[in-house]
Amino acid sequence: MKTPGWVPVFLKEFIHFRRKLFKLGYIFSAMVGPVIYFFAFGLGLGNRVKIDGVNYLVFLIPGLVAMSSMNNAYTWVAGTVNLSRLYFKTFQMFIQAPISSSSILIGEILAGMVKGLFASLLIIILGFVMAPEFFLSWPFAYALLANCFLFSALGVIVGMLTKSHEETATYSNFIIMPMAFFCGTFFPLDRIPLILKSIIYLFPLTHTNILIRKTVMDGEAWLSLFVLLLYGVVFFFWGKKLINDYDE
Amino acid sequence: MIVLEGITKKYGHLYAVDGVSLTIERGEVFGLLGPNGAGKSTTIRMLTTLTRPDGGKASIGHFDIVKDRDKVRNIIGVVPQENNLDRELTARENLIIYALLHRVPDWRERIASSLDLVGLLERQDSIVAEFSGGMQRRLLLARALLANPAVLFLDEPSIGLDPQIRRQMWDIVRNSAINGRTVVITTHYIEEAEALCHRVGILNRGRLIALDTPARLKETVGNYVVEHIDAEGRLIQHFCRTREEARSCAARQPFAVTVREANLEDVFVKLTGERIE
Repeated sequence: MKTPGWVPVFLKEFIHFRRKLFKLGYIFSAMVGPVIYFFAFGLGLGNRVKIDGVNYLVFLIPGLVAMSSMNNAYTWVAGTVNLSRLYFKTFQMFIQAPISSSSILIGEILAGMVKGLFASLLIIILGFVMAPEFFLSWPFAYALLANCFLFSALGVIVGMLTKSHEETATYSNFIIMPMAFFCGTFFPLDRIPLILKSIIYLFPLTHTNILIRKTVMDGEAWLSLFVLLLYGVVFFFWGKKLINDYDE
Repeated sequence: MIVLEGITKKYGHLYAVDGVSLTIERGEVFGLLGPNGAGKSTTIRMLTTLTRPDGGKASIGHFDIVKDRDKVRNIIGVVPQENNLDRELTARENLIIYALLHRVPDWRERIASSLDLVGLLERQDSIVAEFSGGMQRRLLLARALLANPAVLFLDEPSIGLDPQIRRQMWDIVRNSAINGRTVVITTHYIEEAEALCHRVGILNRGRLIALDTPARLKETVGNYVVEHIDAEGRLIQHFCRTREEARSCAARQPFAVTVREANLEDVFVKLTGERIE
């Protein structure tokens, strides 16, 4: 049986990830942001503030999982694709191989998803330890997977479009950072002014935050899942086109 | 067989490759010679499907380099000018990934034999970042040969190699061509082009200015060169067809002269008035 084309692309990134995983500093760097938010907001407000009748910490943990999975999946893929394309030239080895653009894309996306899921797992474990009421649900799993997928695909797009590694930071500052703070990670969206709300609902992380806090798949959950999948499909085909049209 | 028909690549208003046409036969070792910026690497990047031509067309084994990119990628191996090994991976890991990308059958055995061929079998589990520049070039060659490509592209393969390793690499390339493989080399090392290539194309400012065997190219300018430094410190060269003609020319010079056999750089100087390096 022939090995699917995405396997070597994923394998290369996975070997990198596995090597970094055993470096203690790497795990700390993946964890430090969410843990600071966890302690600063969660423990500071957790016992005093209740949202929809639940402890703030229980509200916050799914938001941190959504934010962290977005950050890690996106940053890993955007950085890897950009650096390997512009500086290390290892991406050209994929381009010159007899595999499809979809195979390259799927390999990179899966690698980003592994990174995003790993970072999420650490926060989930922390959540179970610090907040006994915290629980997982099917909508949580759907949201997490869809979020990792679409932000990994966005990472490929940014990695392919940017002309220097510094430029990827610009995309992070203007797209990823505002989403992290305004899309319902730290506070419920119903408290946001109506005019801002219509903009915020355009961002995918908003729908991840809605879906990830659901206990069952109600109408709102299905709508958010649909939006996330729509973003995923659009980013996938955009990324595929960029790889297919690669030209130095 | 590789066929280029008026292939052109522009960057802005600058023609990196300007209407190059040539044919390379199966089993031929073909050299593209020229100074930096002549268009050698751009030509290789177009033939290896990294860069799309703006005009003309080219095919490798009857596969068009634009329309049949996947089929072209199936039959080529590339040693790029810029080292694109993954330096954080081991030599063996680099080759495993390449073998899976190119769906190499019996890849375990082929990886071992490729590493053995370039003398790196014992270092297969070392991280590539720990390798010297020369070892990394050899690993690039092992990787390019791994999928047993019908056409091998070598873009400045000898950069960073000491003379002994360079000659080992030439032997590998020569043996590789004996088995019917077509080899295309870009180089600005004159002795490399003369030692390896059946035919040479000389590029200057994107244009193919000469194309023939090294011997015939040298014949066109004269097989012998009489050179001396004039009163103003300039190198003056006289090209002569025969040894006797060279002797007679040397005898006429009022300066101390050197008589030597012509090389491909002399051909380039005669054609362009400039030096390759």
